[in-house]
Amino acid sequence: MTAIPAVLVLVLAGGKSDALHALGRIRTASALPYGGKYRVIDFTLSNCVHSGLARIGILTQYAPLSLQGHIGIGRAWDLDRRDGGVRLLQPYVRQRETNWYRGTADAIVQNRNVIEDAQARHILVLSGDLVYKMDYAELVRFHEERDAALTLVTVHAPTEEPERYGYVHADRGGRVSALEEKPKRAGGRVVSAAIYLFRARELMARLDRDAEGPDLVHHVIQPMIASGARVFAYPHRGYWRDIGTVDSYYESNMDLVRPVPPLNLYDPDWLIYTPSEDRSPAVVGRGAAVTQSLISHGSRVEGEVSRSVLFPGVHVGDGARVEDSIVMHDARIAPGARLKRTIVDKRVVIGSGASLGFGDGTPNREFPGDLGTGLCVVGKGSHIPEGVYIGTNTLIEIGVCADDFTTREVPSGSVIRPGGQGRAQLALRALPGGAP
Amino acid sequence: MSFVSYAMILAGGLGSRLCILSEKRAKPAVPFGGKYRIIDFTLSNCVNSGIFDVGILTQYRPLSLRDHIGIGRPWDLDRKRGGVELLQPFRGWAETDWYRGTADAIYQNWIRVEEREAEHILVLSGDHVYRMDYRPMIEAHLARGADATVAIAEVPREEARGFGVVDTDDAGWIRGFLEKPAVPPSGQISMGVYVFRTASLHAVLRADTERETVHDFGKNILPALVRDGRVLGFRHGGYWQDIGTLDSYYRANLQLLSPDPPFPLEDPRWPIFTPSTEFPPARLGARAQVRASIVTHGTIVNGTVERSVLFPGAVVEEGALVRDSIVMGESWVGQQAELTQVILDKRVHVGPRARIGFGEDLTPNRSCPEHLSSGITIVGKETRIPEGVTIGRNCRISANLIEEDFTRRTIASGEVMERELNVAH
Repeated sequence: MTAIPAVLVLVLAGGKSDALHALGRIRTASALPYGGKYRVIDFTLSNCVHSGLARIGILTQYAPLSLQGHIGIGRAWDLDRRDGGVRLLQPYVRQRETNWYRGTADAIVQNRNVIEDAQARHILVLSGDLVYKMDYAELVRFHEERDAALTLVTVHAPTEEPERYGYVHADRGGRVSALEEKPKRAGGRVVSAAIYLFRARELMARLDRDAEGPDLVHHVIQPMIASGARVFAYPHRGYWRDIGTVDSYYESNMDLVRPVPPLNLYDPDWLIYTPSEDRSPAVVGRGAAVTQSLISHGSRVEGEVSRSVLFPGVHVGDGARVEDSIVMHDARIAPGARLKRTIVDKRVVIGSGASLGFGDGTPNREFPGDLGTGLCVVGKGSHIPEGVYIGTNTLIEIGVCADDFTTREVPSGSVIRPGGQGRAQLALRALPGGAP
Repeated sequence: MSFVSYAMILAGGLGSRLCILSEKRAKPAVPFGGKYRIIDFTLSNCVNSGIFDVGILTQYRPLSLRDHIGIGRPWDLDRKRGGVELLQPFRGWAETDWYRGTADAIYQNWIRVEEREAEHILVLSGDHVYRMDYRPMIEAHLARGADATVAIAEVPREEARGFGVVDTDDAGWIRGFLEKPAVPPSGQISMGVYVFRTASLHAVLRADTERETVHDFGKNILPALVRDGRVLGFRHGGYWQDIGTLDSYYRANLQLLSPDPPFPLEDPRWPIFTPSTEFPPARLGARAQVRASIVTHGTIVNGTVERSVLFPGAVVEEGALVRDSIVMGESWVGQQAELTQVILDKRVHVGPRARIGFGEDLTPNRSCPEHLSSGITIVGKETRIPEGVTIGRNCRISANLIEEDFTRRTIASGEVMERELNVAH
């Protein structure tokens, strides 16, 4: 007899995050490298297995290859199971009507058969692009005790950007009276964490009968609240971050190198799992100085690194200086190069003596809202030539090469793109294999 | 079937010269190089050479090794056909018993070789650090029609005393084989890496089992094959290190740190596989000073670390100083503690302000002077060194001691600390 699991988990991981620019174009936000050796979705998946939930569907649509390569058969999370385990749910062609997922609710509707087969009492809808640790078992208990149709998790908004959050209004007993999505002005501090636990029958009935559109919040949750369904708020008190923008992604990584990090990755009872890479230990050279940083296997540091996160296989040459930066897999920082507040994507090469992230605070001239706090972003596989000087708030796109630089001094707020479409594709193709 | 697809790895030995590192585990399971166990090198050589069918012969303290190998996943050895299997002595058949020697271990498991109907097999040792593609050696073995082929490394002649020394003719055939000679005729030694024609090996093993010998490959089997058959020498040009003594263990660990290491551990064409630990990346704090060292996931450093290897989960607290040392998994070095030329086994706890490997007095260890005389002090697994204690050089501090076992504040160079002795006080 197959045990009927009480909870089916659906992880939303299909969205495109335009605000992440070069970081988010080649991969969905859930697959973003994070914290030195993880991908963002590792937090959600590790939370699931630590909470005893092992029947998981991941709804993917946008650029899923990176995520697919990462998840594999779910071994890293012990999710390669006979019953349940993890499955990637990509849209597919049907006999009658075929559509891409038109929204979060539509993605769930299109996977009705998965939900029906699971015969779950509750459906936990999660987002793959959030960084937090949470015991969902407690949430399920709370939800069942109140006989809720929907329990939504709330957190204190970590930043002052009202347009990024949904504000939750609830009474003392936790009964939700309104969910105000992305208002112009902040509606308090209590916001939705984008973690929803539905009674399965309730959700499916709503999706079948009443959903007026494809979005889970607008067309399912808000109407539920409005119709007086039993919707409760469950407060999550720990660390919680949405990494959907360059700033929030950067700040959340930097949280890990603070003297006392607000998110503990070392708790032996709640480790964050990720597929291992077969790399050698990190080597810190004779002349190196590394402080307040995370460094990963396969790295070799000869220069200075402070307040930074280094992913596997990063080389920092002699006399190079990396400050307040994030450097992803296999990037090469040549001798004498200097990085400040720079996010370097995978397999980027920074030429010797080049400097990035120094200059005035001119916001990015094309994306002032997304690149205005002084960060520099270098897209995957780009090559920064020797001795070039690059200002702050600069976006170097994916696959840029030395010929794309027409000047030795790139002013703050610039955007550098690969010359011509063809060359960009060539540069990408020239990269050695591996997941984006 | 003429190609070679089955390897047997000898991993049962006592390794007594590794002192307390191999007190609780077989030598191939001794942690090495920051995140590996010694056997990872041989296993990775196998799979990188396309050999995915491996039997590991264990006898002495196999638990640590068994946990490490598991079902062989890190090496892609969890297979339907082939894979990895631990071969521990068993009872039930008339001829089975504890293994009397390396040769006897293979002979008692001969059914594994028969089942495979293999014409040739590889026999390897699990306690060497090296990188080798076995395929060219196998090709030479087959092309020359040898009964056995022995991989040969070149070492300084004075160091050859501890090994099997081979004498080859101009065509590469081995004419003489001397196990641990007092005066080595050359520095050409056997690496303990062999390809055998199954039929030839079986004949020699069967003859040997009837005799009063030590049933050892180096002492009995190879000399017999050299006498009766065609044994080819195959020169291995690369790095090869036998981890036989504490000194060689310590040296091989630190060699990996050199700016020009003997071989790159990080080579995508020849990865060294090992089970991963689920620790986060290494965290170096605001006051950390780390130079010429290896750090691994889960290490946390707030003090000073020089020319040392920190295994996963090792913690060096603020003001602590770790020099020329090896700190194994999840050991903790307290505030202001000082370590010089120390090997800490796993989960050792060094109290604040303790000093280990202290002073210039190099009195050799009083119970094993031949293995602990170069200045290295070693501390066994899970021992707790009390705050402020001073321990000299060449000391051996046993595993599982607690603070109360240390009745003195100072332990002079060359001393041995064991619980039994203290209980007797």
